[in-house]
Parts: sequence; C-alpha cells; structure tokens
Amino acid sequence: MSGGPNAGRRVTGKRARRFMSAVALLSGALLSGARDAPAQAQNAMVNRAFDLEQAGKFRDAIAAWRAVIAAGDGSQGVLGLERVFSQMAQDDSVLPALDTLLRDKPIDRVLRGVQLRVLRSLGRDQETRKAFDEWTRLLPHDPAPYREYAGQLLNDGRAAAADTVLQEASRALGSTKALVIEVAQLRAALGLWTAAAVAWREALLAEPYLEQAAVFSLSSAAAIHRDSVRAILRESTAAPVRKVLGSLELQWGAARDGWRAIAGLTVADSAFDTWKEFAEDAERQGAWLAARDALAAMNRQRPNAALALRAAGTALAGGEPASALDQLEAAKKGMQPFQIRLQVLPLEVRALAALGRAAEAERLVRESDEYLDARARQSYARQVAWGWIRAGQVEKARAALGGANGEDEDEVTAWIALYDGDLAGARAGLRRPAEATPDVVTVIALLGRTRADSSRTVGAAFLALARGDSVQAAVRFERAADELSDAAPLLLALAARVQGARRQDGAAAVLWQRILQRYAAAPEAAEADLEWGRSLRRKGDTKGATERFEHLILSYPQSALVPQARRELEAVRNGASSV
Amino acid sequence: MDDAQQNHLKSYGLAFTALKLGTRVEWFLNYRGGSFLLLDDPAARRKAALDGVTVEAIGDAALAQVRRDIAAGNMDAISLEKAPRIAIYAPPKSPPWDDAVTLALRYAGIEYTQIWDDEVLKSDLSKFDWIHLHHEDFTGQMNKLYLGFRDAPWFLEQRDRDQATAQRNGFANIPALKKAVAARLRDFVEKGGFLFAMCGATDTIELAMAAQNVDIAGPFSDGTPMDPDADSKMDWQHTFAFQNAHLEMSSGVNSMSDIDGHQVNVPARRAPLGQFTLFNFSAKFDPVASMLVQNHRNVIPDFYGVTTSFTRATLKPGDTILATEEGAPWVKYLHGDYGKGSWTYLGGHDPEDPQHNIGALPTDLALHPNSPGYRLILNNVLFPAAKKKPLKT
Repeated sequence: MSGGPNAGRRVTGKRARRFMSAVALLSGALLSGARDAPAQAQNAMVNRAFDLEQAGKFRDAIAAWRAVIAAGDGSQGVLGLERVFSQMAQDDSVLPALDTLLRDKPIDRVLRGVQLRVLRSLGRDQETRKAFDEWTRLLPHDPAPYREYAGQLLNDGRAAAADTVLQEASRALGSTKALVIEVAQLRAALGLWTAAAVAWREALLAEPYLEQAAVFSLSSAAAIHRDSVRAILRESTAAPVRKVLGSLELQWGAARDGWRAIAGLTVADSAFDTWKEFAEDAERQGAWLAARDALAAMNRQRPNAALALRAAGTALAGGEPASALDQLEAAKKGMQPFQIRLQVLPLEVRALAALGRAAEAERLVRESDEYLDARARQSYARQVAWGWIRAGQVEKARAALGGANGEDEDEVTAWIALYDGDLAGARAGLRRPAEATPDVVTVIALLGRTRADSSRTVGAAFLALARGDSVQAAVRFERAADELSDAAPLLLALAARVQGARRQDGAAAVLWQRILQRYAAAPEAAEADLEWGRSLRRKGDTKGATERFEHLILSYPQSALVPQARRELEAVRNGASSV
Repeated sequence: MDDAQQNHLKSYGLAFTALKLGTRVEWFLNYRGGSFLLLDDPAARRKAALDGVTVEAIGDAALAQVRRDIAAGNMDAISLEKAPRIAIYAPPKSPPWDDAVTLALRYAGIEYTQIWDDEVLKSDLSKFDWIHLHHEDFTGQMNKLYLGFRDAPWFLEQRDRDQATAQRNGFANIPALKKAVAARLRDFVEKGGFLFAMCGATDTIELAMAAQNVDIAGPFSDGTPMDPDADSKMDWQHTFAFQNAHLEMSSGVNSMSDIDGHQVNVPARRAPLGQFTLFNFSAKFDPVASMLVQNHRNVIPDFYGVTTSFTRATLKPGDTILATEEGAPWVKYLHGDYGKGSWTYLGGHDPEDPQHNIGALPTDLALHPNSPGYRLILNNVLFPAAKKKPLKT
C-alpha cells in the first residue's frame, strides 16, 4: 500500500465497503439462519401448531404459532394467532406481534391484511382507516391495499364504506381495472344487479377463473332482477360468461335455459368438462331433460356407450321416451350383444312401452327370451302389458301378462281388470299394493266406495287417463257418476280434478258446484269448496272465493282442508296474488 | 288461553271485534294463561270458527265457579270498555324490513290508522288511544343505515322523503324534524295517550326528547358533527324511561347509545341472545303490569333488534320492569306512566325472527299463531280498553 495520507483511507474505504457489505451479508445470513429454521423443521412446527389449534388447545397453539413466527414464518404465524385469538374472543392480542412484524415488513400483504381485519373486528374504525392509509402511503400505486380493505368491508356487509374505498382507488390508481372483482361484488351487495352483471361480465373476460365467485355473487338476485342479469350475460359469447349464465339458470330453476347458455361451447372452451359438471348438477336437481341434453352433447363429442345410456335414462325420467330411444341407438354402436341385452334392453322396453309401441317391445323381449330368468321375464311382461294399455289394447295386455309366471293377485292384473271394467277383479288385485301411489290410492278409494262389481264406463275412464286422453277421461268419469250413485261424489271429484289439471276452471267449477249442491255431506264436499274457491280467486272474484272458503271452514270444521282454507282466506283478505 | 288455544293471536282480534260491536268483554288475568270472556252470540262464534280461535261455551254456574277461582287466586277480572283507537306511526311506503306490530294487527284483524310525520305534527293526536312506534330513528340518523346502504335505492328514497317532509314543515334537517315529532308524541302521552314502541324507536325517541337543544346527529344527517359535550348537555327530565345514557359519538359505529344492552350491529360489542322471563305480578294489585305480561309462556326466547334490550344502569327509578334476562345487566320489557298517559317499550324487532335482516321476507304469522312474543304486543293493544279501576293500595 502506498500513497498519501488519504490513499490508505481510500483503499481502506473501498475495502471497508466491501468488507461491510460482506459483513452485512454474513450477518444477514446469520440472522436469517437464526430466524429461518430449515424448511422441514419449519413445516413440522406449522403442522404442530395447526394440530393444537384443531384440537382446541388454544393456549398451546398460541405458543406454537409464536414459535413459527420466531422461526421466520411471520405470515403463517400471524394468521394462526389471528384464528386462535378470535376463537378466544381476544382479537386484540394479535396486535403486538403484528406491530413488531410490520416494523420489519411494512408492506407484507398478509400482515397488512390481518391488521385491517383485526382492527375492524375490534370496532376500531379510525385505527383501521389509519392502517389502510399507511399501507397506501407505502404502496401508492398498488391495488392490494384497496382490494384487501374493500373486500373485507364487503364481507362485513358495509357496501357503502367499500364503495368509498373503491372510489379512492379509482383516483389513486387511475382506474379500478385491477379491482374488477371488488367492484362487481360491491354492485351486487348494493342490489344494483344490472350493474353487477355488467361488472362481472367484464371481470370474467379478464379473469376467467372467477366463474364461481360470479355465480355466488349473482345467484342471490331476486326473481324480479334476474331477467336483467340474464340479458347482460347473454350479450357475451365468451365461454366464462356463458358458463356463469348456465350455472345461474340451473340454480334459478331454469335448467333448460342453463343448457342453452352453454350448448354452444367448443372444445377450446373445455366444453366437455363444463357439460359434464352441468349434467351432474342437473341430475342432482332432477332437471332430467337438461341433463339429457348435456349428456347427449357429451356423447356426440366423445362417443361413449355409458354416456348414451345415461342420456337415455334421464330422457325416460324426464318423460321423453322417444328421445331415450335415440340415445339407446347411439349406445348400441360398439356394444356386444350381451351388453345390449343387459344394459340397453331394459331401457328400450321401458321407452317403447311408454310410447305405446308394445309390439316392438314384445318382439325385443322375445328375441332375448333364452337369456332371461323368470324374474326378468316377469318384469318385462309387466312393461309390455303397460305398453299395450298405452295403446288401448287391454286384451293384448292381459295376454302379455298371461305368459309370465306371476301371482293371481298381481297389481298389473288388477289394473287390467279395472280398465276392462271388472271392478271385482281390480278390488282383489289391489288388496296389497306394492306402493301407495296417488293413482293407487284413488282407485282403492273408489273401489271401497262402490259396491258395484263392474262398470265399463269407469274402466274406460281410467283407461283414457292411462292413455293420456284427459278430455275423454273427464267426460267418462262424469258419466260414471250417473251410473254408480254410491260413488258419485268421488267420480265427479275425479272429473273435476282432471278438468282442473287441464286448466279448464269453468268446467271444473260446474262439477265442484254439483258436488256441493247434491252431495253436501260427502267427503269430497270440502275439497269442492276449496278448489272452487281457488278457481274463483284465480278469476279475481274475491267475494265469491271468500264465500267458498268461509263455507268450508264453517260447514266442515273437522276437515283436514280447513287450515288450507284459512290460508287462502288470509291471502284473499290481504290481497295476495293467486298462485 | 293456555295451550288448549289453537290461535292465541287471533283471539285478541276476536276480543277487539267484540268491543267494536259494543259487546261486553272481560279479561281474566292469569286465568289459564289470560283469557277473554265474551258474550256467546252467533257473530262471535262465526268469527271464532273462521279464525280458528278455540272457544269454550260456559254456563252461569260454571262462570260463577270461574269467578270464585279468580277471586281466590292471583287472578283478576278486568272489564274492557271499548275498542281502542289505534294509530301506527309508519312511513307511507314499507321499508325493506317487516314491522312486527303491523303484522300482528293485520293478522289479528285489528283496525288501525297509519300516521306519519305530517299527521303527528299537524293533526289532533287525542283522537287516538294508542300509538305505536316501531323502527323509527328519532335522532334523525336513519338508523345509521348509511353505513351499509348509502347507495341503496330504498335508502335514498327514504332520505329524500324525510328531507322533503322536514322542509315542508319548516325544519332545517331530518334530526330537527324527528325531534319535533318526538316532542309531539311526548305531549300525546302526557295528555293521556298510550305509546308502545319496539326496536330502535325505544331509545331513539328518548334520546331525541333529551336532546331538544343538543346536536346528537352525525354529519351525514345534518352536515355538522355531534356536539362533543352532548352527553353532559342531555336533559333527561322529560324523558319517559331512561336517564344518564352515554351517546355513541362515532358516526361510523352503528349504535346510538349505551341504552341498548346487546349492540347487535357492532360486531365487537354484540352480546349473544338468551331468553327472557316475564315477571309474575299480582293481578289484583298490579292489574296494568299483569295485563301487559299475560302469556301462556313464562320464558321466551330473545330476539335481536336495532335496540334489543335496555341496560339497567340507564333506567329511571319509576320504570316498571316487565321482563328480564336472568343474570344480565339489561331488561327486555318496560312500562311506566308519564303525565296522564303511559308507555311500554319492548326490545327487539320481531319475536319470531331472532335476527331479522334488511330485505328478508316478513314473518308469516299464520305459521306462528301461538307466538308468546307476539302476545306481548297484542296485550299492549288491548290494555287501553281496560276500565280504569281504583288501585287497591
């Protein structure tokens, strides 16, 4: 070393800087080594703290989380302390640890978020605001503070306060583009559903992963606002928006519309996965036809017998046997004959029977006869018999059943007897029905009311009903009332119910009136009052409706329909709209 | 009206209708949970049948026995003279929350007149026997709902309506308007009227009465901050029930004062709900208090409101406590006299909705025909009909 008096200093100074920076690094490493335990050990500490917390050992958990902080994971540790102290209603106890950590890491997002949350939960609004201001002062162009604060306020239901924060964000950041979620949530929280839908639509275009959040936010729109939300979302063809609309429609009970929203998705939009999820949700909700549409589309995209079978099953459940047959044709492709027999045949026979194509169903069963056991034969025989009934061919239905080794008092036999007008045969067959469905209960009630052993009119009426010919069914029930006087009120009530189901209120009212006038003491009289009153209410005749409901209550005080009549009376008096 | 009664709430309507028709009604306090004796006539039977009210026909001999039982026990028979003339102080357009008293009166079929600020300020309130206040914030701060609903269309509508009413009646702002309304209601009671209030109306009307010359409204309401010395300037002499309460000075905290024990809208202070017990008064010596607590239940599950309960520390010595929560520093149900009239306060918003949120559907009382909480409301409705008896002490 040489030079003047400063030379050494200069060299020393340079060296000193290097040395100092080396010392700084070294001490930093030493310090961080002291703070940061090896990763594995740190994980173990965190796990231990979690376990203690889950076990409810809060005091121990506090110590464990403090150890995590000391070991260098301030964020995890503080979050843990926040949870535990909150359980103990000692939220403010987190603040000292937080203050210490924030001195070292003043812009740590997690720490700042916890700080805001804790101060808010303590009701220290001014301090919360101060903390927020400090954060924004340190990060003037970062949306994180605004996002965190506004999000917390929205979770608290403080929409107006959140609105203020977002307005400040707009001024500070130049726009709220980085806060699209919060803006959208805010608008929903304020009940501004149209604006919320617009905001979510924009947000989804930027951040497709927000689908769940969007559905959650918009799903609580009241019925009167949903059309405006739909209109906004429908304007976009973007896949995320369409997916949100599909989910919303499903939640709002408009499954078919939900399907239409997502039907046009493409492979690039992960259509298959979306449709799969939709189909599962629709099946869970019993929206069978929407599920069928989704499954059929999935099958078209990736042909698979299982999908086609599922589509067929949902079509049947949804009352569309014809489309079930289409799906079954698709399923058969690529299936072995034994698979077809096992998996396709049951559904195919059911669908054909439902369509009244009993001959085809019978042929298919016959072709597979050698592979069927007795139980399967019996089951198919019943279904074929129903198919003949649907076609109006009672004799052939009987013949179809004759081939099966069924019991004499088989329920299907009883129904066939009924359609034939053989009331005695029906009475015997329905002595122990397998299931007390509404139809079975009605028939048993009728058979119990009348002593007649036969009535072709009654049989024809029930047959018309089975064939879906409600016009004829109503006419025949009414005619049968003249024939079987001991069951007249019940038969008139059946005719009236059918007319009511056809929305022929006028025709139904005539029948209800007849019951009240001629059979005031019959069990059906109370129902007559109630249903007549309801039809009057639908017509807007509140005076007439009131009379009917009051008549029911006063004349039949023991009737099980009295509570319903009272509710109808309340609704009429309060001017509620009729259902 | 014990558990044999199918519809307790409509029973009050039956009694009210009988009074309206001029027939004699007696209230048998504490007899089978509090019962009504009505004349057996076809109209009463018809109404009872239509409303599902259980009635028992009773002959002279049986009635005489009942009267003997009443005389011998902690029971009394109070004659009800005439149907009270009822007014409900409620805004012209329903806010997005239900009003328990309106629901109760409509369900029971009891008529009422709806009045609002213009009517209170300008018309003769002595034409009513009974006025009900419900959710109204008489401090003029709109229940501090600006904290969460500042941009909600219904909130803006309410604010504009009240501001227009204030201007129309010559007041500078909503707080000034509501103070004047509070003063008129106090006059109504002083001159012999009966006031029933629930929820936020209970403490806010008292604060408004005590703060006639003090600014206790935050800047959102009147543009100026609260008087920092408001607490010391409150004049509790002319309030009904409370005194020496401490005001909530922060306009960002959703509370009015420390009168409310539960502070439901301040998360850090919120007290959990328990249940409250009705006091068992002497029917013969405290007929008024007895009337107000008639019920088929003694212990009733509590329910939140903007004001849920009343801290004991803020009660005036003359207050009659009608119900309390055991071990709690607050009471639930209060009554007292003022001038020639009287008042009753019941904490909470809706007895069958423990935490009624804004926007929630109104309670369907057809599902709660035996509600003990709603019976308390209806006790207050019939109470003004009672013939004034001289006190036995």
